[in-house]
Amino acid sequence: MNCNRFRLPFLLCATLGIAFAPGLLTAEDAGPLKSRLGALPYKIAYETYVDGNWEIFVMNPDGSHPVNLTKTPKVNEHYPQISPDGTKLAYVGDVGEGRDAIRTLYVADIDGQNPRKIADHAREPFWSPDSKTICYLDQEFPKFQVIDYYTKGIEFYDLATGKVTPHVNYTNLHHLYNPGFSKNGKWIVSTVHAGMGYGHAILLIEAHGTNIINLEIPGCRPCLSPDGKQIAWGAGDNEIAAAPLDTDAATPKVGPWRVRIKDAKEKIYHVDWSPDSQYLSFSMGPDGEGDLTKAGTFQAACEIMGVYAPGWNLAVVPAEPGRTIDLLSAGPGDFTLITTNGLSNKESAWFRAGTK
Amino acid sequence: MKIRSCISRLALALTLGLLCSCQKSEPAAQTTTPATATAATPTPASAPVAAAKPAAIDATAPVAIVTKSGVEMIYLPGGEFQMGSSQGNPDEAPPHKVKLTAFAMDVFPVTHELFTKAQLPNPSHWQDNPKKPVERVRWRDAKQYCNERSLLEGLTPCYNEKTPEWVCDYAANGYRLPTEAEWEYAARAGSEADYDFGDSGKLRQFGWFADNSEAKTHVVGQKKPNRWGLHDMYGNVSHWCEDVYSPTYYQGSPAEDPTGPPSPGRDVKRVLRGGSWKSSADMCRASFRQGQRTGDTDACFYTDFCGFRCVRRLAPGEFANLRAPAK
Repeated sequence: MNCNRFRLPFLLCATLGIAFAPGLLTAEDAGPLKSRLGALPYKIAYETYVDGNWEIFVMNPDGSHPVNLTKTPKVNEHYPQISPDGTKLAYVGDVGEGRDAIRTLYVADIDGQNPRKIADHAREPFWSPDSKTICYLDQEFPKFQVIDYYTKGIEFYDLATGKVTPHVNYTNLHHLYNPGFSKNGKWIVSTVHAGMGYGHAILLIEAHGTNIINLEIPGCRPCLSPDGKQIAWGAGDNEIAAAPLDTDAATPKVGPWRVRIKDAKEKIYHVDWSPDSQYLSFSMGPDGEGDLTKAGTFQAACEIMGVYAPGWNLAVVPAEPGRTIDLLSAGPGDFTLITTNGLSNKESAWFRAGTK
Repeated sequence: MKIRSCISRLALALTLGLLCSCQKSEPAAQTTTPATATAATPTPASAPVAAAKPAAIDATAPVAIVTKSGVEMIYLPGGEFQMGSSQGNPDEAPPHKVKLTAFAMDVFPVTHELFTKAQLPNPSHWQDNPKKPVERVRWRDAKQYCNERSLLEGLTPCYNEKTPEWVCDYAANGYRLPTEAEWEYAARAGSEADYDFGDSGKLRQFGWFADNSEAKTHVVGQKKPNRWGLHDMYGNVSHWCEDVYSPTYYQGSPAEDPTGPPSPGRDVKRVLRGGSWKSSADMCRASFRQGQRTGDTDACFYTDFCGFRCVRRLAPGEFANLRAPAK
């Protein structure tokens, strides 16, 4: 099976105006990888745009049983991040339009219940390895901007006490985006754009110190594997790469690239590791700059959170070392789409199911 | 010329003018025909613009003004000039007469300082000095800055942010990008030579380009201004214009206030003018044209020579609320 088999039904459905439920696949699309994914004890959270509103959904890794966790027609939810212990969901919600929009950080139970506001003008949450702290980036200025690097500093929110503590190097952290913790808690990996003396770079930032290491790999949006041994990132608009990275080393360095996922036709972004570090999920779809006819959306590159990305779906590939997977020719053992409705499905986040 | 020496001269001219109870400013040097001028009197390039006074403004010559938010601009009276060149690249031909409505243009390219004041994320590569020009600016980023500055000053934004390409309302009183014709008119400052000061032999005095930039941007205003008081029109950063780029546009462009060809939609290129820190002297010529993808679909836009400056049209009588740079 190749990806065109997924795209063709979607195009036909879109042409006929048929609205599919998020993540819904037909049985005949299921292939070997999909079968393996269906047997995994994991879930995947993601953002999608349904009924004129951004929502956070959860589904099985094979795309089955999508469930809307948020169901809030007046709030546009994005960027789900699941605590490592699988019990909590952190996400952001936008209210308002244009420069008057306010982005707010929330935490909720893993089923979306009991949402609690943490901070306004807060962005891109990520969890400490012990699941006790939600970290986030402050918005650079009060006025809303959709650009992902519109941030300053890093904050740590203690889930038990509600206390917010700035990073010890807060004032020197500027224009970070897509941050995440290393398994050992020593490092925060992040992209920086036009800040901290870097034109653009992927950095390791000491979590509780001032040391900063430029990993010197091209691209953006890094994600450290749960096993603590690898990094995956967007090596370009049309490529995701993965490579060894030992965050226990005194000076961690990225090793030789050993997984490359390419698509010469569509953009591929937002990579995330499965909890066993064996699979990679990501978003993919055509280039674009949004659709301003959609309420609660913004105009910018379509991979940016809050920008409607028509035709974008989520996909999974195995993260087997030494592989280059060309998505235009990949077979059913190497690649599968796990959403097909094209409703701006982005920012997938794996977690272990049934931990609550 | 030292930084902002032009402004100092303006202040001096104003002071002397007041001491002498002179009621009228010196007209600027120009070989063009301002639409409302009676007779253009050439003057030395060292006294390029008149200083604005609360009253008795000579609007037939370039006038230095300061906006409500403190940005230095030059008011350029409307006029007719020869746009393009028969000696340059094919897209610069044919040279043709263009008539423009009066407008005001920023004295300097927009700097980090100004961009941040508008609460926009600065995308620039070289952020070591707040008075350096912004670069790596997408076309729409530049337009957003224009709208933010308009709002800061209580003006009506020119760009409709709810349209896919942010359609420009040229009748609005807010800030916008210059049209290609406005940019060239301002750069030429009345000259029909490759540069307003003559040939490329003097370019080092007027701009940062590949031969003297050391492969980076520089603080604005360190080089000589052109004859109408505009700094960094040659090199440092290129300037986004409003127009869609078409290499054949001059073959049938309107003779009055041209705004470029219609947008073809996706993958459009917009006009960049003025050359940059990485350009050859030839690319800094007043008539040199360049088409550049807007970067609007790129999350990270790495084109570190794309900058801009703003223009706006002043309402009649608005001079009364503007003042000359204080020095």
